[in-house]
Amino acid sequence: MSLVARHLEADGLPTVIMGCAKDIVEYCGVPRFLFSDFPLGNSAGRPNDVESQTATLELAFRVLETAPAARTTVQSPLRWRDDASWKLDFSDLSKLTPEEIAERRQEFEVVKAVAKAKREDA
Amino acid sequence: MAFAAEHDVPLPYMQRTRDYYLRLGYGAYRWAHFEDVPFAPLRTSLARARVALVTTAAPFQPGVGDQGPGALYNAAAKFYKVYSEPTDTVPDLRISHVGYDRVHTTAEDPNTWLPLTQLQHAVKAGRIGALTPRLHGAPTNRSQRVTMDTDAPELLRRCRDDGADVALLVPS
Repeated sequence: MSLVARHLEADGLPTVIMGCAKDIVEYCGVPRFLFSDFPLGNSAGRPNDVESQTATLELAFRVLETAPAARTTVQSPLRWRDDASWKLDFSDLSKLTPEEIAERRQEFEVVKAVAKAKREDA
Repeated sequence: MAFAAEHDVPLPYMQRTRDYYLRLGYGAYRWAHFEDVPFAPLRTSLARARVALVTTAAPFQPGVGDQGPGALYNAAAKFYKVYSEPTDTVPDLRISHVGYDRVHTTAEDPNTWLPLTQLQHAVKAGRIGALTPRLHGAPTNRSQRVTMDTDAPELLRRCRDDGADVALLVPS
């Protein structure tokens, strides 16, 4: 999505990204970014929490209106939960046995093959 | 005031993902990285602006397996061409085709990745001028070249055709 933002912006169309992967978006370099420090899949707010979804969209509007230059990141003040231990779990290999790692590899090969077939079909 | 926990920082996704796939026996992925970043100033107030919504969510596809809340990663539900859907209703879009955090979220509430209902409210409240008549779907293609040379220009064309003044991009 960062590549899309850059392309639209280069043609004169102002953009803002709402996202949860701060390092990836900033590494690419985008004009405006509202970062929510939430698990991936929650760029627009917390589930079943209309208030947080409204606040998140409003912040994105404010970023559009006030960003003074490219690479403007604003971090939402909202927390996923008080305890930040969810951040330790993403792609955590330390809990996997060698057998489980082999299984994961096999699963990934299957997924890759399905995606490739679908892409070639498109 | 106590300090926050040391791990309470934005998650280092690139490092974690790199380590994960190296351990599985794959080479390192190279993320897109640029020195220069374009910037187009906002030329109208949002109350008068027509807003385009761009999403990476996928239209529900019958017959390609579970795409519901908590579904396993479903590569068969991926799409490889830009699509558009009307914004006056809420289309049935899903995110089983991407790597969202399946440990800590279930994708049960589409409003967490598609702020369309919220945008409709913002139009009614006068916070934004209008939504473009269509939202647009960006393929999550692993080829950065295809994204830059094919998908991004197509998304730009559709946003321009719809008279967009600004674009809100929401990866899922």
